[in-house]
Amino acid sequence: MCEGDEMNKIKLIYEGKAKKVYETDDSTLAIFEYKDSLTAFNAQKKDTMQGKGRLTNLISATFLKLLQDKGIPTHFVKLLDDNHQLVKRLKIIPLEVVVRNTSTGSLCKRLGVEEGLDLVPPLVEFYLKNDELGDPLVTEDHIRAFGFASKPQVEKMKELSLKVNEILHKFLSKKGIKLVDFKLEFGMDDEGNIFVADEISPDTCRFWDMTSKERLDKDRFRKDLGNVLEAYEEIWRRIADWEKSCSAEYRANILVYLKEGVLDTQGKAVLSSLYSLGYDEVKNVRVGKYIKITLTSPSQEDAASRIKEMCEDLLVNDLIEEYSFELEEI
Amino acid sequence: MKVSVVIFPGSNCDRDVKWAFELCCNADAEMIWHAEKSLPSDTDIVVLPGGFSYGDYLRCGAMAAKSPIMKSVAEFAQRGGLVIGICNGFHILTEAKLLPGALLPNASTKFICRSCQIKIERNDTPFTQLYEKNEIVNFPIAHHDGLFYLDDDSLTKLEESGCVVFRYADNPNGSLKAIAGITNKEGNVLGLMPHPERVVHPLLGGEGGVRFFKGLSKWVKEMR
Ligand SMILES: Nc1ncnc2c1ncn2[C@@H]1O[C@H](COP(=O)(O)OP(=O)(O)OP(=O)(O)O)[C@@H](O)[C@H]1O
Ligand SMILES: [Mg+2]
Repeated sequence: MCEGDEMNKIKLIYEGKAKKVYETDDSTLAIFEYKDSLTAFNAQKKDTMQGKGRLTNLISATFLKLLQDKGIPTHFVKLLDDNHQLVKRLKIIPLEVVVRNTSTGSLCKRLGVEEGLDLVPPLVEFYLKNDELGDPLVTEDHIRAFGFASKPQVEKMKELSLKVNEILHKFLSKKGIKLVDFKLEFGMDDEGNIFVADEISPDTCRFWDMTSKERLDKDRFRKDLGNVLEAYEEIWRRIADWEKSCSAEYRANILVYLKEGVLDTQGKAVLSSLYSLGYDEVKNVRVGKYIKITLTSPSQEDAASRIKEMCEDLLVNDLIEEYSFELEEI
Repeated sequence: MKVSVVIFPGSNCDRDVKWAFELCCNADAEMIWHAEKSLPSDTDIVVLPGGFSYGDYLRCGAMAAKSPIMKSVAEFAQRGGLVIGICNGFHILTEAKLLPGALLPNASTKFICRSCQIKIERNDTPFTQLYEKNEIVNFPIAHHDGLFYLDDDSLTKLEESGCVVFRYADNPNGSLKAIAGITNKEGNVLGLMPHPERVVHPLLGGEGGVRFFKGLSKWVKEMR
């Protein structure tokens, strides 16, 4: 654990193929320990690679943070160290949602379709989380008939998965990476809110280098292509600086106006000028201020809260003025 | 008596204030640049002088109110120290929330620069003890934004708690209740639009402000 970190691993709750899940002092949180082990084909193929847990931990944290910044609810709370992250402890919906932008893997095998076809719009598939059955594909009717999830939950998962796809796809293409497909898990908190859970890493996604078409994901392990760790390193190398590179520029258009009832001498003067020019139909004139601010921020939400702070701190005197603003990414 | 006169970019009554304190009560007045973080430890009175800090941009006094020195001015006031804001200094005190209210552009929309009859509402303050209650004195005003504004409820409370110290006899700028100067509830922070430092010698056209400074000096001596 990080030194001085108040979060303590209390008890191992679950040890999976890729992660250990620990209980913490706070019953609403859990600690994920990413392991160095690699498995494929429902754990029929196994190996360990030193340093792999660190990479999947860091990559997953980065993707989850990116999604959170774009308004997607995820279970991510914070990175604790190279192998640990703090997450919200959720009740996992027993479905894996797969989004596919390009045909490959089990899809081609099952349906006999060509590999590498562009899937527009992307496919969304549900798989039942059940290792004994080998995580079988299920339809929405199956899900409803057997109560694996409710209809609104299915819709929400689908909607979020497609949004996640859009965000990651856009982000990764700037890094020269093609997002071929990926798997998500979802969980619910006590109030029934749905969050993106589990992990997003080369273990759970397919990444192809855009120019060389090289596989930069677990397929290297599945197909014995070698250089598995190097591929994971490469993904991390390309996304590690997102917090800097991803922060966008925003423009805030702020209107500051006098509160109703506060005498506006400028407005009064302008009104009488308008009258003297013959604009008799004018009823009232209030003059306000227009302040345009451009700023860089990791997200729109962040930019909005900073602008609000600026207004309250300096730009607006709340005794006599009110304000509103619009924010746009530039 | 030690007076700290804060200079903001655009202050222009700082030397008048220093001179008035020296002339009227032989005080030791030191100029303090707004970027300083602390006041001299032996400060008895802090003055935020008139002027056009930051060109009156955004709102009069808004940016000066966020100057580094203002934190120690607020702490000084918190400890009961005497703080005086004259004209733009009054703007700064309201923007810093050390005094209630705001100062809006004059109702006439004009800059007004002339002598003004000011009624002393209270003479039981450190600032006015040498004046008679209800006495009328002549202090000049020189401002564009002097209309004192406060919402109705707060204005009633302000009046009831006796915080109005100076009132215009003829209300040149449209101030609510003709208010020209107020203190905080504790009575140690004063803001006023008129300039007592401009009437401390016959050559200046009057001596109505002399007792303002002499009164302060007396107060500080008695408090020691
Ligand atoms: N926020 C969360 N709260 C609680 N459990 C979670 C959360 N996110 C993911 N999980 C679950 O924690 C476990 C993570 O371990 P791991 O990924 O190694 O499991 P696994 O071997 O893939 O097995 P499984 O078939 O259960 O996914 C998974 O069971 C996953 O569903
Ligand atoms: Mg898993």
